[in-house]
Amino acid sequence: MKEFAELNFDKEVSYTKTHEWAKKTGNIVRIGVDDYAQSALGDIVYVELPSVGGAVNAGAAFGSLESTKAVSDLNSPVSGVVVKVNDALSDSPELINSSPYGDGWIIDVEVKGDSDFGALLKSDAYAEYVKTLEPIEAN
Amino acid sequence: MLNKTAMNAVHRKLGGQMTDFGGWEMPLWYPTGGVKEHLYVVEKSGVFDIGHMAVVRLKGEGAKALLQLCLTRNIEKLAVGNCAYSVILNDEGHVIDDTIVYNMGGDEYVLISNAGMGSVVAEHLTSRNTFKDVTVRDDAGNFGKVDLQGPSSVSIMRKLLSKGKGSIDGLKYFRFLGDYAKKDSAAQLPGDIPVLLSRTGYTGEVGFEIWSPFDRVLEIWNMILETGGDDVIPCGLAARDSLRTGAILPLSHQDIGHWPFVNTPWSFALPLDKDGKLTKSFIGSKLYDNPPSQYTLPFCGFDPRKVETDSAAVLLNGENIGAVPTCVIDMAIGRADGKVYSVASPDKPKDFRARGLSCGFVRVDKNLAPGTKIALKDARRTVEVEIVSDIRPARTARIAI
Repeated sequence: MKEFAELNFDKEVSYTKTHEWAKKTGNIVRIGVDDYAQSALGDIVYVELPSVGGAVNAGAAFGSLESTKAVSDLNSPVSGVVVKVNDALSDSPELINSSPYGDGWIIDVEVKGDSDFGALLKSDAYAEYVKTLEPIEAN
Repeated sequence: MLNKTAMNAVHRKLGGQMTDFGGWEMPLWYPTGGVKEHLYVVEKSGVFDIGHMAVVRLKGEGAKALLQLCLTRNIEKLAVGNCAYSVILNDEGHVIDDTIVYNMGGDEYVLISNAGMGSVVAEHLTSRNTFKDVTVRDDAGNFGKVDLQGPSSVSIMRKLLSKGKGSIDGLKYFRFLGDYAKKDSAAQLPGDIPVLLSRTGYTGEVGFEIWSPFDRVLEIWNMILETGGDDVIPCGLAARDSLRTGAILPLSHQDIGHWPFVNTPWSFALPLDKDGKLTKSFIGSKLYDNPPSQYTLPFCGFDPRKVETDSAAVLLNGENIGAVPTCVIDMAIGRADGKVYSVASPDKPKDFRARGLSCGFVRVDKNLAPGTKIALKDARRTVEVEIVSDIRPARTARIAI
């Protein structure tokens, strides 16, 4: 696991305390997991993705990440309808490790308004929060 | 406060993800990651710090008789230079620990057991000793241990050994050379480092377990990495756990433990003759007069999805029939046309890519034939897997060297 100082908290996205990020463009919110989560989980080897057209709810699980040592729920930062999933993850789940904010994105959700963002943390506040955490127990 | 091996500072410097394993602070994986570490051992080789294991040494005329009483394995014919896998049971036939027993010659035996178990095993043996002239000693603090495992390990060891080099040609599985506690050991590494070099391991791949004096282990680690070059990387306990599971090897206190040792894939530890009758009596052997209906069986999944072992149930046609002591991912295997292949399988299909399969052991109250489909259910989901007779094909542990 990376040391705190080595972690990258992308300034362009907002964070949940369960280590997902969300970035809104128009009415589409892209969702992934952050550098802390991928680093703590270790190699991601399988991603359970939702179906396009299905609903996701803020704070509720929409899929899971399988690392060599553990399984983690993916919790949605927002409520809405899944309009796209990152198909590249079925062949290359390791994209989440190598590019958590880029090619390792997980789903796109169509939302109404941005009310859910009020509960999310900006990168500075999220970094402060992560500093208080014990490392995720990966075993 | 966790125990630390002689290698602890090295693990931290390498960026190892550290964890508490049986009271020892050990690396789960290095920044390389558990997937690559697992694959490296199957295709090339990996070096592991295993200094958390325990060693108990027995010496004296009655040592063999004491071991015949306390071990399940019949060591009557275990020759000098040979070692064997055994379990140690209590009077009820429950497992205290598992061990590999080494016949050192001269009425001396070495038992290797698990992290934190040296004093427990030594006390158990001592408490059951009614034989003349036996000393039992927990050798904690006197040794270090690294394992070099994988197909490249043989050429690396051939290059490295300063004494005993010729002796590894033809060294068979479960044979060993030398003794880390003797200055004139038959196996030595450069710098006059006495080692016990054992052709065993916990990965299912060809390789060596190497014991040395505690303060020499770092030199050995470094010379293996230097001599091995691109053919070897440091590996952590996560890769060790997934490799041993794919090789159908048990983890003590998880797959075997304080329950009856019956109907497991490890019955070779029992002293059975061709008709399945016990060839000796030993502590715990009365269990086999009337064994319970309990079965530990290997399974393999259809994708990498795992279940939480603490909470998972085993469902057969919807009925709960047991628990899941181990569930990991063997990243060197995958399925093609319904068959499991390894990256090392000579007959793997063209373009085969191992995506990893979940695998492990179930402990159930029914005997299930290989091919039986069962469901593993935890709080998150239900994963279908099948009972198998073997997990990772094309393993190299037994090859001729």
